[in-house]
Formats: sequence, C-alpha cells, structure tokens
Amino acid sequence: MGLEDHRAQVISNRHLFGPLYLMELTCPFVAANIMGGQFVHMEIPDREAHILRRPFSIFARDEEAETVEILYQVLGAGTEAMATWEPGSETRMIGCIGRGWEFPYSTERALIVGGGVGAAPLYLLAQDLMDADVETDVILGASTEGALVCRARYEEACGKMPACSTDDGTFGRAGFATVLLEEALSRASEEGRPYDYAAVCGPEPFMRACAKMLADAGVPTQVSLERRMACGIGACLSCVVETASGKRRACVDGPIFEAEDILWQ
Amino acid sequence: MAVMSVDLGGLPMKNPVTVASGTFAAGQEYADFVDVAKLGAVTTKGVSLHGWEGNDIPRIAETPSGMLNSIGLQNPGVEHLCAHEIPWLEGQGATIIVNVSGHSLEEYVAVIERLESAPVDAYEVNISCPNVDAGGMTFGCDCGQAGRVVSACRKATDRPLIVKLTPNVTDVTEIARAAEEAGADAISLINTLLGMAVDAKARKSVLARVVGGLSGPAVKPVALRMVWQCAKAVKLPILGMGGIASGEDAVEFMLAGATAVAVGTANFMNPRASLDVVEGIRAFCEAEGVEDVKELIGGLAC
Repeated sequence: MGLEDHRAQVISNRHLFGPLYLMELTCPFVAANIMGGQFVHMEIPDREAHILRRPFSIFARDEEAETVEILYQVLGAGTEAMATWEPGSETRMIGCIGRGWEFPYSTERALIVGGGVGAAPLYLLAQDLMDADVETDVILGASTEGALVCRARYEEACGKMPACSTDDGTFGRAGFATVLLEEALSRASEEGRPYDYAAVCGPEPFMRACAKMLADAGVPTQVSLERRMACGIGACLSCVVETASGKRRACVDGPIFEAEDILWQ
Repeated sequence: MAVMSVDLGGLPMKNPVTVASGTFAAGQEYADFVDVAKLGAVTTKGVSLHGWEGNDIPRIAETPSGMLNSIGLQNPGVEHLCAHEIPWLEGQGATIIVNVSGHSLEEYVAVIERLESAPVDAYEVNISCPNVDAGGMTFGCDCGQAGRVVSACRKATDRPLIVKLTPNVTDVTEIARAAEEAGADAISLINTLLGMAVDAKARKSVLARVVGGLSGPAVKPVALRMVWQCAKAVKLPILGMGGIASGEDAVEFMLAGATAVAVGTANFMNPRASLDVVEGIRAFCEAEGVEDVKELIGGLAC
C-alpha cells in the first residue's frame, strides 16, 4: 500500500508516569490500515531548530473512531515538544511504514515479551493473536510499578493478567523480565505445548538476551528494532541494521526482523 | 506561466530543481510522494564501482536547524544501479544525473565507463564527500587532485559533467577554477560542512565516526555565499544547494548565481519538498512578473 503524508489531530495527550505519555490522534487512514509493528513518521511542527520527523509505532487503533494511540517516552527535543501538545493541535504523519509483525497461520501458542516502552508496538499484535484464536502469553517488564502502563490494556485484550516484573520489585517479580521468560519457556516445555512464535520489543540488550533464550528453546522469534531515522521511507540509509544478509534498513526492511537474522552488536 | 526550463552545462532541465545526492536514493522510495518526471532532474545517491558498506551507526544526529550525517556512501555498486534504478527512472521519464564516487581516480573513470551505455543524462562527480577515508573530499580539497579527477572523467565521457565541490576548503573558488580548467561543464555546491555533535552526559560523540556532514537550513547562508563567490570566479553554470526548503530559498540561490538548485535535507522534513520547491519558484515568478526563470540567474543587485 502506498505511503502518504496524512494530517492528524490530537484528541488527548496524557501524562501517564515518569517520562511516559499517551497521545490519541484522529487519523482515519492510519487507523484503518496500520498493522501491528508498523510505524508513522511524525512531523514536530513549529520547531525550526528541530527539523527531522520522529518515528513512532502505533500502540492501539480504533478504526470506527478513526483514531490511533501513540505511547511515547520523553527522551529529547521532539518528544519534549510533543508532551506540550494540546487537544486540537495538528501535525502530519507519513504512514503506514515498514514491515509489521507476521506470525505463521499455523501458530498455536505465542509469547509476547515487552521491556519498558517496548510494550507499545506489541499491543496490536496481541489483539491480532487473540482474533486468530492463538493462545497467547504476555510478559511485561518495567523499571517500577508505575511504568507498567500497558498492563491493564493487555489484560483487557488477552483476558488475563500479563506476567510482570519490575527492576525495583514494586510489582510482580523483582528483576528483569528475562527471569519470567526463562520460567515461561520451561513451563511450556513441561506442559508439552511449546511456544511456536515469539515477539520481543524493548531495549536492544534486552532483546538480544531474550532472542538468545528463545533461540535456545527453538522458538521462532521476531524483534522490533529502533534506530535514528531521517527520511523514514528507505532513502537515506541512516537506520541500517546488521543482518545475516547484510545491512538492512530498519524503516522499510523492518522494523520487524527475524531475530535469527540479526547480528547483534 | 513563466518559462521554467534551464540549461545546466549542456543538460536541459524542464525546471531548475533537482534533488541533492544521497537524500533521495534513486527516487523509487519517494514515488508515493513525487512524480520524478516533474523534477528538473533526479540526482542519484553516490555510486562506486563495486559498492561500499558505509559507516557504523549512529550515522545521523539532529543539530540546531540541521543535521549531521556520516552514512559513508553506502551503495550496492554501479551494476545494481544499472540493473534496477536507472531502468525505473527511465521508465518514469525522469532526467537522470548519476552521482559518481570513487576511492581512486581509476574508480571514478571505471564507474563512468560502465554508465556510458546506460541512459544517463549527466554525471555529478563527487569529490566532496566528507564521510569516506579515501577519495571523496580528499580529492576536492586540492586543486591538483581535483583537476586530475575531473580531467580523467572528462576523457571518459562527452556527457555533461558536473563537479560537486566541498565547502571544507579555504577558498572554494580555487577548486571551482581547477574544475573549470579540467573540463567540467558545471559545478555543484555545497556538499556538507564537516561538523560534529557531542553527548555531554555520555561524554561521547553522537556519531560513530565522530565527525559528519552538516546540512539543512543551518548551512544556507554559507552555501549562498559560496555560490555567489563561485559565480563571480568561473563561467561555468552552478547547481546550488544547501538548506533549500522552499521556492524562495531556491530563488535566493539563483539570484546569487545558480542556474539550477538541489533540494536535499528538506526531503527528510517533507517528502514532497522537491516538488513544493518547483511550485514555489513558479509562484514566485508569477507574483513577481518574471516571465523566464533564467532572468533570475545572477540577478542579485548588490
């Protein structure tokens, strides 16, 4: 499907916790067509000193209401500006960009692992897996209880509470989500119903660790990679990822990649 | 309607606007936004003989009103360009400028020789990339070396030969003159300004290669000044670039002496920027009663 630079209008823009915000925008085309794992390249208007767009995955969409939700973490000038946007503000977003999550039709049992704000690009996938009647387990890790901002949404989508961990032990298991992953893999193996698809998004060292554990357990795994981007549409070669088949562009060859293809740095 | 066509050193362009090499790939990625046949020309990403891997990431950094890049001329080589990109551009009806890169004088010539049988309309010889260790800017900072590269390329083709100059020199007009004497048909400038960005908290450079090329609106005053200087120093037509994002920006370059202009970093800000600049020039001409866009070239009153 062709790319377009769509007009979008902010409906709400809420502070959730710490640096995490949730913005809801009206953008009918993206709401109707975005696939889980794809992203939009968003203009930050009226900031002459900051010229580049910012890539954001879509957290959730409502086709009927023609809206999309973007869960973002304030990290620099672009997201700082976004945090100040009032309802009614307008921007533009190129979409829908990139390769989304792709689970095989034969998938019987799936595992979703989200670290920090990496939980956001996995949510549409969780909904798709549920729609496809795939048994799906979700593991979410975050720094602290308040940062587990997607927990309730996943519970709503999957009909059960995701397994959670926090670095400081304020909610769920204390420590990294990799501990929960290890347990989930052993349990699935003991039950004789191993996972046949996994999707991971989070900080790159976290994804690397998860990808290794999942590979050792023989679970086909996809990951979502994040890179600095300029054009966002495949031309500038800013966002390259080292893979078994050479340098690939995170924007249009990804952002979803097979974990086994990634040459982790 | 103003006459929009220009002649850039033997290259007829339907309007004065092309894209800056490296910001537009070879056009296919922009096909949803830009009918490439409506541009004066498409300038392709720099191509070498057998392709280059490019630099490590991070390759870019946003800086005030601009950006740094150190892509490092990653490209799959001239065969790939001939097999995939050029046929597509030809099919779209685009005017094609191929940006030619090399680590050595022989490589530049070999790339041009390979392209001579392809439907290319002009070459832009890149002696100004700041992001590769051999070739690139090292040729463009020395009059003797620049002259030798241009002479060798000149012998390899009768097609219009545009030489792209670096701003990272003491006197850009000396290199412009060397290119003119060696047989160039036009010069293009500016390539990016060598710069760097530092992450204070991490105490690290932002770019993996530490230094990179600065582009975007931040460099426009420098680019305008250098186009103006070169316009006075050589008879060659000039392809001006550096921070152009609007029709008025483009007109400023033409008034300073450019025959044509290239839109670069603005493509990242707005994927339709190149066509918006064409429309902007047209609107300027209509509003100002300019009947032929060529009237603007060198029209600066100072």
